Amino acid sequence: MSGRVAAGAAAACAAFALALAQDVLPGAAFYHGWQYALLLAAALAVVAASIVSDLRAGNRWAALAFAGALLAGVAGLGSGLLGPDTAAVIGTPGTVAPIPALGAAAFFGAADAPAIARGDASIVLRRPGKPALEVTRSGHVLDGESILGLDARPAAFIDAWDDHGAHLTITQPSNASFLSPVLLFRQRQKIGQFDVPFDIFGTPGRARIFHALFFTPRDLANFRHAVADTSRPALILTASDDSGKPLGIALAPSGQLVELGGVRVRATLGTFPALTIASVPPLWTLAGGLALAVLGLAGHALSARRRTPRAIQPAGI
Amino acid sequence: MSLALLAGGCYSAPDPAAVAAGGPATLAGAPAQSFDLQRTDGEVDSLARHRGSVVLLNLWATWCPPCREELPVLEQFARAYAGRVVVLGVDQGESASVARDFARARGVTYPMLVDLNEQYGRAYQGLGLPTTVIVDRDGHVVRGIDGALTLAQMRAAVAPVLAKR
Repeated sequence: MSGRVAAGAAAACAAFALALAQDVLPGAAFYHGWQYALLLAAALAVVAASIVSDLRAGNRWAALAFAGALLAGVAGLGSGLLGPDTAAVIGTPGTVAPIPALGAAAFFGAADAPAIARGDASIVLRRPGKPALEVTRSGHVLDGESILGLDARPAAFIDAWDDHGAHLTITQPSNASFLSPVLLFRQRQKIGQFDVPFDIFGTPGRARIFHALFFTPRDLANFRHAVADTSRPALILTASDDSGKPLGIALAPSGQLVELGGVRVRATLGTFPALTIASVPPLWTLAGGLALAVLGLAGHALSARRRTPRAIQPAGI
Repeated sequence: MSLALLAGGCYSAPDPAAVAAGGPATLAGAPAQSFDLQRTDGEVDSLARHRGSVVLLNLWATWCPPCREELPVLEQFARAYAGRVVVLGVDQGESASVARDFARARGVTYPMLVDLNEQYGRAYQGLGLPTTVIVDRDGHVVRGIDGALTLAQMRAAVAPVLAKR
């Protein structure tokens, strides 16, 4: 194998691998960066040069094989350069989020406290005239030029009672879902060495506002002051009244009842998924490219065998 | 590179960031979600159990001042439209005893669901309380309205649905 052919083959393999990576390991920001585009463009330039060279030399089958790599690589480059960046659609459990760009609505399953603790909720995508598409945490779903997956995000299901034991309405004045006991921690806050998920909820029946910081068991183990139970996640809750007057702070381990600001609060912590949507090269371009490559290689091998002169049979003695 | 740009230009990959804003008004035409819940009288009820009737679903809570003002108006509407419109109250997140005592003290007679987990509030994307949702006989949302309504506004909200046979 000459150096030119070896370089062409390596570039073709690289083009295939880089394009296929978007489907196999979807959602990486790298695919939309200049480094990825430069790598793929360099590989494609070598592949294109190999096609020209093979056509001039009359190696049409080899040129066909390289054309397959070119097709897949161009699709990968197009998806990386022009496809939208990976996005996450965050929805409150039990709600529907329209996604006009997909012509679909995402149904976020209704999740109670045990479901949040298990973190096994799924999201169903419904489109008119098409079967429903369920996205579970076990894998990704390919949908045309998009690949859908789940991103498990921290979540808390809040129950609260007043001092007479009456259940209280939970509201989220600063979030899109005003009426929801499920916190989805759309923001983060730096506190000391930690950068942790943060959310706010209220109990208007008792005129209280709570700020909640989410700490994983690993975070808790790194606390300067020893925390008794580091086996489960916990919230640090601060309470204030309607006028903003601070009413105290408490550590609320998952599932444990704590009293703060005259309200008994139980936070069940776990995860709830967001729907991630990443652009990928259309499957037909990868499949078509691979088919061309296999066809070209097979054709090239057969024609090479035909061209090889047969060994001269020795005359009988 | 130009070949890549040419091919890329043909892409119609969606922009996932383009997600519409929520709120009860955006649900018009959508199938109305329903959850089985206990009523303040202990019976199990849901929106779906009233399929075939026009339903005025009212999300409220005892701590909400506009809800408290709206309650007698809703009772008046429920009596005036008895047999034509089902009024279904859904208390958001409070104990059954709290909702029952409050409603009873104000002479409320229409059925009242107790939604401890605020499932209806989430499903109907309540931006605040009260939230009113008009559901047609086929179980589709006709209108979602944020804020307290007057009797005239309630009448106007159900009139087009009642006109359909």
